[in-house]
Amino acid sequence: MLAFLGSAGVIAALIGSILLVVRGIRRAQGGEADIRTPGKLVLAGAVISMVAMQVALLTDDFSLAYVANHHSSATPFPFDVATAWAALEGSIILWGLVLAVFTWVVVRQASDRLGSAAVAVMAGVGVFFFGLMVTVANPFEVCVDALATGCAASSAWPFTAADVPANGPGPNPLLQNHFLMAVHPPVLYIGYVGLTVPFAYAIGALALGVPGPEWLRRSHRSTLVAWSFLTLGITLGGWWAYEVLSWGGYWAWDPVENASLMPWLAATAFIHSGLVQQRRGMLQAWNFVLVISAFALTILGTFLTRSGTINSVHSFTQSAIGPALLGFLVLVLVGSFTLFAMRSHLVASSPRIETFVSREGTFLVNNLLLTVYAFVVLIGTTYPLLLEAFTGTQVGVGEPFFNRLAVPLSFMLLLTMGFGPVTPWRGAAPGLLWRRLRWPTIVALASGVVVALTVTRVAWVILAIVLGVFVVAAIGRLLLEFAGARKAKSGLSLYREARTVIGNDQSFWAGQLSHIGVVLVAIGIAFAANLPLHTEVELAPGESVEFAGYTLTYDAPFRREEPNRVVQGVRVEVSREDRIITVLEPRANFYDTEMGGIITPAVMSRPSGDLYLTLRNLDAETVQLGLDTSPMIWLLWLGGVTTAAGGFWSLAMRRRDRVVEEPLVLADV
Amino acid sequence: MSERTRNIASVAVIAVMAVALLLLTSTQPATSDRVEQIGTRLKCPVCQGESIANSPSQMAEDMMDLVSERVSSGVPDDQIIDELLSSYTGAVLLDPPASGNTLVLWVAPVVALGVGIAVILWWRRHPGQKADEATSPGKSRTRLVIGGVVLVLAFAGIVVVAANSLQDRPAAAAGAADIDEQDLSEVSDETMEAVIAANAEDPQVNGMRLALAERYFDGGDYRSAFPHYLVVAEDPNATGAEAITALVRLGWMAYDGNGEVETATRLIDEALAIDPGSSVARYVRARVLWCGAGETDQAIETFEELLADPELAAETRTQIEEDLEMANDGGECP
Repeated sequence: MLAFLGSAGVIAALIGSILLVVRGIRRAQGGEADIRTPGKLVLAGAVISMVAMQVALLTDDFSLAYVANHHSSATPFPFDVATAWAALEGSIILWGLVLAVFTWVVVRQASDRLGSAAVAVMAGVGVFFFGLMVTVANPFEVCVDALATGCAASSAWPFTAADVPANGPGPNPLLQNHFLMAVHPPVLYIGYVGLTVPFAYAIGALALGVPGPEWLRRSHRSTLVAWSFLTLGITLGGWWAYEVLSWGGYWAWDPVENASLMPWLAATAFIHSGLVQQRRGMLQAWNFVLVISAFALTILGTFLTRSGTINSVHSFTQSAIGPALLGFLVLVLVGSFTLFAMRSHLVASSPRIETFVSREGTFLVNNLLLTVYAFVVLIGTTYPLLLEAFTGTQVGVGEPFFNRLAVPLSFMLLLTMGFGPVTPWRGAAPGLLWRRLRWPTIVALASGVVVALTVTRVAWVILAIVLGVFVVAAIGRLLLEFAGARKAKSGLSLYREARTVIGNDQSFWAGQLSHIGVVLVAIGIAFAANLPLHTEVELAPGESVEFAGYTLTYDAPFRREEPNRVVQGVRVEVSREDRIITVLEPRANFYDTEMGGIITPAVMSRPSGDLYLTLRNLDAETVQLGLDTSPMIWLLWLGGVTTAAGGFWSLAMRRRDRVVEEPLVLADV
Repeated sequence: MSERTRNIASVAVIAVMAVALLLLTSTQPATSDRVEQIGTRLKCPVCQGESIANSPSQMAEDMMDLVSERVSSGVPDDQIIDELLSSYTGAVLLDPPASGNTLVLWVAPVVALGVGIAVILWWRRHPGQKADEATSPGKSRTRLVIGGVVLVLAFAGIVVVAANSLQDRPAAAAGAADIDEQDLSEVSDETMEAVIAANAEDPQVNGMRLALAERYFDGGDYRSAFPHYLVVAEDPNATGAEAITALVRLGWMAYDGNGEVETATRLIDEALAIDPGSSVARYVRARVLWCGAGETDQAIETFEELLADPELAAETRTQIEEDLEMANDGGECP
């Protein structure tokens, strides 16, 4: 029943997508066609398939091969829900659902030819993904050969008599170890799939030969949607890794992490360069390149994750989906850039840039840095694969390579972030930058000196603090300048005027909030990377050890049987000055499917940083523990969320901005 | 204070603080943890793309132990890395050198930056160039053709490479169905680990699992062999022969590795329950009892019975004959 329902949903979505392509094209050519009905069909089909999968998971319907192989009746909430995207076929359902929602949004806004063309492109992408679901990655296959746990063979025909296994092995243990697993993938998918929308408008505009400002406005807004979710998704992913993967890190330049960073960098570049085109009409061709690249990079990321080409904690068991995704990637690249080449004569000439000491000049530098950054990540991620394919030679490209290139690029970006917002469009009057940046520079250097004298003398940390404070102080100084100018005229309080200044140009200040978020992330990374303490200890029950100002006492081992796992670990009392602060339980979780236990760290969070205990070995007499500190690690999570918040704020305000009179232009001040 | 004085004062303050910072800071990492740094430069052989510093796996921990031992005895970084690379197959340097076939990794970003700067400068001087060119259709068409050819070539290259990459990695990318058909002798331990991990839930992977476990076993690496034998032994879908091999090996390791005679015989008895006639199981059981419990007479009896079987493999026969001779001579187990 559920197999039928789910398959019916997928097929409905596929048919709806095909209809949408045809009708979208007809409408884009100026004809009349109803696109709302097929749009609803796509949305309904995608929702039905997700609901069918969720019902199957929640009711332990092991007649579905996917459920039999990735779910267990003991899997607790919310991991049973999250199992829907814990493996290949299911994750495509989520992808399809998010795509259907975005397609519906585009359909609703498609009142003109450009919108209709974008609908056709969205639906074309939909045909591919729903097509995957009926061919190489069918999530609704019926199990026809049950094992004791799991399913050995399955049939795509939904009415096949099912051979129902009694139970399944449950999802990958790493994926049922933390509630973030239920949140991180959907948020990230909204970001990934959301980048289809700007791509659709760009291709629509190229196909129609109307590369004017209209596609840019829509692409820019939809990129902000995707970018905000992508930012949040990457932050949540880092947090998940930190809480689950037991090495105290949050980012390891793992190919799949890189796969999410590359579109993020491209989208970040476009958010800035799109503004240049909106304000100055420059960079039109470049904006097409960025939007197409951002989308292509999401498909590349999906290919890397889903094809089994690389080994990573993220990769699923490989399948025939790899060649399909690769083919689609090539189609996207060849199709888009051929179309772009054919239409390039329509892309308007760029007005001359007067001076690099202008907002557009800083955005150029920012785009150059972000593009090189994305290129570094791209080459570092794909080069080992390409080299091995060509020569069979195995080379590794990991943290040391990326850090050596990404760290200087990141510092340069921070510096640009200090200059950009205070530099007016078209060019700054002589002395303006000096007036605006004099105090921020002094404050930044003073903070550096204070930190060097009190906290640490590590150069990277000081540099991050100096540049970070510089950016934030420059933003604060700018706000004070604007508010002060208004106060002088109105006589109202500075606070009220500052609020008015922000209220008058919310998308600008929302962008500054994102900048502050990035600063927090940078300082958080600098602290976490340079100042952690680490040691390994062996303790008998009752024994204590001093670490990072705390006294850690090994209380006793414990063992807990939970429905889906056995938890084995030790209780460690954390005290300071004879006062017990908390009891931590570093542990290993044993699942039926896994031979060894999944080591799960115990984390105590404090404003100064985290205490992070990892179980290394446990026997009758003693326990071996890894002790780590992660100083100021919360800055990272806060920074990531703040950066995303800036994006959401800007989105919420953009609608209102359009009605409001053109806001304060910085060059006029 | 005049604007001019203020400016001079500001510059002075900035200069003093900048110099102070340069003098105060140190580029040495505070943790100065060489062990950790070396750890991030090596990929753990059995993990999913993690460095040995980041991996919780046993092998990574062993390697980290070795690193800290070498560091404390004053061995230089590069020498430690070379030692690890040569003694652990599958360990890969994650820090590609700026030479040989990884030189391009370091050069390409610099070139990209240079090209980017050049394009921006060129664009500043010739902002309208592009549009003028485009308005003449002849030029536009030439450019289109050239662009098209370049694109097609580039993507053809990508497709070929990518297709190769999938084909050249049969072990890592092969479906479970292909596993049995492969000649495993050519496949490295790490690759087999990867395939097994990727197809862990597939009963057909047991063949490869056993082959890998046998390799570890033959090399005396019981620790690595153990989990694989255990999975096969506990897998209800394993064939009888697979289960017997796994149980017998587990039994032998329990005795040879931990001296647990009782556990050993219990495991081998489980194998005999599947096939009471299994000569391997009977031989190993007799040997465990002889060596571990001193039951020489019973061992001699079993050896003789086994030798009476004409279908016994020649290799096993020689082995049993040797053992029998020794048991008859003095009863001391080798």
